[in-house]
Amino acid sequence: MSSRAAKRLNRILLMLPYVVSEDGASIAGLCKKFGITKEELTNDLTLLWMCGLPDYTPADLIDFHIEGDRVYIGMADYFKRPLNLTREEALALFIAGRALIEAGVFEVGSPLGAALDKIEALLAEGEAGEVEEIAGRIHVEMDSYAGRWKRIIEEGLKQGRNLVVDYYSFSTGNFSTREVEPLSLLWSRGYWYLQAWCHEAEDLRLFRLDRIRDVTLTDTRVTRELTDEMHVPELVGEYRPGKKAHNVKLRFSGKEGRRLVEEWPTARISEREDGSQELELRTRNLSWLASYLLRYGDRFTIVAPRELRQLVEDKASKMLEMYSED
Amino acid sequence: MNKIERLINLTAYLLDSDKPITLDELKDTVYKGQSGGGALRRMFERDKEELREMGIDVKAVKRGDGDEVGYTIERNEYYLPHLDLSPEQRVALTMVSRLFLGSGTPFSGPAHSALLKLAFDADAGAGLPAEEKVPHVHWIGVPREREALSDILEGLVRRKLLTFSYRSLDAKEPAEREVEPYGLFNRDGHWYLAGKCHLRGEIRCFRLDRIASEVRVNPASPRTPDFAVPSNFDIEKEANWDWPLPCEEEDVEARVRFSSRLAFAHTSARAPVVAVKRQRDGSLEVTYEVADPEQFVDWVLEFGIDARIVAPPELVNMARERLQAVLSVVRGRKR
Repeated sequence: MSSRAAKRLNRILLMLPYVVSEDGASIAGLCKKFGITKEELTNDLTLLWMCGLPDYTPADLIDFHIEGDRVYIGMADYFKRPLNLTREEALALFIAGRALIEAGVFEVGSPLGAALDKIEALLAEGEAGEVEEIAGRIHVEMDSYAGRWKRIIEEGLKQGRNLVVDYYSFSTGNFSTREVEPLSLLWSRGYWYLQAWCHEAEDLRLFRLDRIRDVTLTDTRVTRELTDEMHVPELVGEYRPGKKAHNVKLRFSGKEGRRLVEEWPTARISEREDGSQELELRTRNLSWLASYLLRYGDRFTIVAPRELRQLVEDKASKMLEMYSED
Repeated sequence: MNKIERLINLTAYLLDSDKPITLDELKDTVYKGQSGGGALRRMFERDKEELREMGIDVKAVKRGDGDEVGYTIERNEYYLPHLDLSPEQRVALTMVSRLFLGSGTPFSGPAHSALLKLAFDADAGAGLPAEEKVPHVHWIGVPREREALSDILEGLVRRKLLTFSYRSLDAKEPAEREVEPYGLFNRDGHWYLAGKCHLRGEIRCFRLDRIASEVRVNPASPRTPDFAVPSNFDIEKEANWDWPLPCEEEDVEARVRFSSRLAFAHTSARAPVVAVKRQRDGSLEVTYEVADPEQFVDWVLEFGIDARIVAPPELVNMARERLQAVLSVVRGRKR
């Protein structure tokens, strides 16, 4: 879609089937569904004020009024049914769906496959072949370690039942078993996470699926729903390290620093005169960071904090000891 | 009357009318008050094009038996046909769109609007959309990749040249690149564009968060592709560039012993498991088929003293050398 006007028109035509009925539609509901503000919504709808059929007398114009939190539109039965999928929409669903089947997120022969066939049938002749060809050039890898627990977690999400999770925390090095209310499954930076309300912490928690030792489905119903305040995107990874985080300063030779900074959204990198990279980041997980840094061998140095240097030394010497046994 | 109102009126008129509408009739109605003649025709042509972009096809047809041309929007093309999706199929499609919703992937916007339309399929005619209980699944995108993705997808679908400035890992300054977009893949949670790079004269992969500028899609003749994708282009091969597919000769069989407490995590390796042997003390000895020893050793080291490479000696040495190197650096600094 090129112009802004076209985008807006598209949205209006998309919205109309939801509004053209005797019962009208809730304004708040529409805003949520279409991801727009109340102001944008009213702007969109008031456009319809002067729209309709020739001869554009009051009897021909779209009937539009707002009462309290509801909006009513009449005299527009020709917009009552939704517009056919655009090529772009059919393409997006088809490619995304195909990629997910190939990535193993959905099984071959699942209801998704049948649904995609129906979507594909919507495309004009000749277009279907083209879409297949394009889908073949897009590849998504998402299988990473989802296999063992994903099904049980999905069951918990679907039925709205609590899960008991036996979880290993890489930062503390401890296991804990807790009952949680599953809210969503997240895919971020190559890993699957369960987002859940943790009864023990009385807070939202993320559990990386490959660190779950065991998970069981309980009969207890969940009491919480995913709300907008819990909106997730920034929760994964150390986007918001918090006040308790340590300030870490590392130095890398070559391109390692640049590579690390890509994995660490909050890190800052500066180039030094000798060509080395200095990286500043904040983390609560010094212990995990220490293990992670081992892979860099002698290609990095720790400027601060001293605690991290000690942790790395302890870890490396204990591991060397282990390797020199027997 | 503003443009959107005009487009709505044009659509409503052509959709509602049982007979094609001539340009003269449009002049007296939808285009009333506009200056006539060539300007009006050009405006109508632009409007038609705009609607076409949205998937609304305004067709020119002969009216009656004369030579008069009228315009129409075919109802069976305009409206979403009844797809008769089963509840399970609708849940599956909703999960697909939820997964990508707001993620900034190229599927995020269109997949969402598609679902808003398909919601009416359950009860076609009755009007009210169906709401399903669908598990929440989300894709958390990498913020810097978001803007580039939709432009890249556009270039990929229409086969148009892309230009952008790209900073590779080992370059100090970004360089201007002109790329024929062949494919797009996501690996370890990151998006990569694969295509022929005119600067290097061969197929290269570009990580999207290393793109340092806007991505420009060649605006010239948008309906004509700029290039053909070579028939031997293989997106999976590109996606596995430094991570060769397991192949008999080059693969190393590595054995790792896990402590009983972290034994559960042995499946999280990128390498396939060949054999698992539980020891008497509860520890686990796992054999992997390793294609990328460097990456494999990195992964084992993260387990600390809870995992130890037992064989082959080359990998054991690699781990040992890595640890010695770390120690020499941290100890050296302390003194």
